[in-house]
Amino acid sequence: MTFEPIEGGYLHVTVAGRAQRIYVEMAGEGRPVLCLHTAGADTRQWRHILNDADLTGSHRFFAFDMPWHGKSLPPQGFETEEYLLTTEAYIETVLAVADALSLDRPILAGCSMGGRIALQIAALHPERFSGFIAIEASDFQPAWYDIDWFHRPDAHGGEMGAALVSTNISPYAPPADRWATLWMFMQSGPGVFRGDLSFYTKDASLIDRLAMIDTSRTPVHLLVGAYDLTCTPDDARRTADAIAGATLTVMPELGHFPMSEHPQAFRPYFNDALKRMGEGAGHLRERPRP
Amino acid sequence: MLETLLTMQQRLDASPHLLRLGKLFCETVLIEVEDLSFYLQFRDGHLVSITPGPSAKTPWRFALRTDKAALAAFWEPVPRPGFHDIFGLVKIGRGRIDGDILALVKNLRFFKEFMALGRPATGEEKPA
Repeated sequence: MTFEPIEGGYLHVTVAGRAQRIYVEMAGEGRPVLCLHTAGADTRQWRHILNDADLTGSHRFFAFDMPWHGKSLPPQGFETEEYLLTTEAYIETVLAVADALSLDRPILAGCSMGGRIALQIAALHPERFSGFIAIEASDFQPAWYDIDWFHRPDAHGGEMGAALVSTNISPYAPPADRWATLWMFMQSGPGVFRGDLSFYTKDASLIDRLAMIDTSRTPVHLLVGAYDLTCTPDDARRTADAIAGATLTVMPELGHFPMSEHPQAFRPYFNDALKRMGEGAGHLRERPRP
Repeated sequence: MLETLLTMQQRLDASPHLLRLGKLFCETVLIEVEDLSFYLQFRDGHLVSITPGPSAKTPWRFALRTDKAALAAFWEPVPRPGFHDIFGLVKIGRGRIDGDILALVKNLRFFKEFMALGRPATGEEKPA
C-alpha cells in the first residue's frame, strides 16, 4: 500500500473567544507556505500542490479547513446560529492557525476569498508573513447573484452552488478535475457557501487598505484565470495596480479554482509565484507534526 | 438555430444522466435570439416541443435572451471566456435571463448542460 505524502491532523485554537477544532493537511520540506481555500470548499482544493514532488522538495505546505468547512466542525452551539463569516474572524483564524503551527513568517497563498484575506493580512499584519500569493483575488466585487439562493429549505444549496460556480471553471479543465472541484461545493454544509459569500460580496474594506501594502517588505503576486467571471482579469489588474510593486499574471486557460480545476496547467504559474516571493525569512520554529 | 435545437432535443433523450437530473423539470423556457424566438416545453426532463415564436399567448417560466453571434460563440467547441456559460453571457453583457430565475437556479445544472448540448461532440462537425 502506498499513501500519498500528505499528513493530516487536528489543531485546537481559539477564535473570537470560541474553541475551534481545525483540520490541517501538510506536506513537503522547506520554506513554509500556508494555503487558504475558496468559499464553499475545503483543503482538498490544494491536494495536487501538496502531492507535487517538485514543489514539496523545497516548500512545506500547510492547508487547513476553515471552521464549518471540510473536516473542521462548526463550533459548539452552531445549530441555532446563522453562519456569517467576517473579515475580522477570518484574519483571526488564519493568524491563530499560523501560531498553532509555529510558523515563522510563512508565505500566505489564498484563492478567491482566501486571496482576498491574504491581501487584507498583507495590509494589516505584514510582519507575520514573508510574501503573499493572491489567486483569483481582488479588492471587492458585489454579488452578481442572490446569495440567498444557496440556503433555502426547498432546494439543495450545494447542488445549486456547484452549478453556479461552474460558470467560473474553464472549458480547458479536465472533466475529472472539474467534477472533483464541483463535488466540494455539493458537499458544503447548509448555509456555509452563503455565509462565506456574505463577507466576500459585502465587505469593501480592502479597497482603502491596498495602499498600506509594502511590497518592498513582503512581495505580492496575483494570479488570475481568464475564465474567472467572479474575479475577472480586469478586477485583478485593478487590484494589482493599487498595490505599488505588486505583480500579476493572467492564466489564459484557467478559471476561478485553478489549483483544483486544472492542476497541471496551474502548476507552472504557482511555481513562478513561489519564486517571486524572494528568499524570505520564513521557516519553521519547529517542524509541526500531526 | 432550429436545427441545433432539434439536435439538442435528440441528444437530451440520449443522455440518461440529464433525464435523471431533470425528471422534475416541467417548464416552458423562452429562447430569444434577436429576431428569432423559440418556446421550449420540457416535461419530466424531456424536451417535448420546440415552438417558434413570437407568441403573446404562450406563458414561460424563464427566458434566455442573447444575440446570434454570442450564441454561436457559446456553441463553439471551446468557447472564449464569457461565452462558455449562460451566466457568462449575462456577465459580459451579451445575454439576459428574465422571469423566474429561482426556477432556473433550482435546475441550473440540468439547464446548463442542456444548453451545452448545442456544442459539437468531440471529433464532430458543428451542428447548424
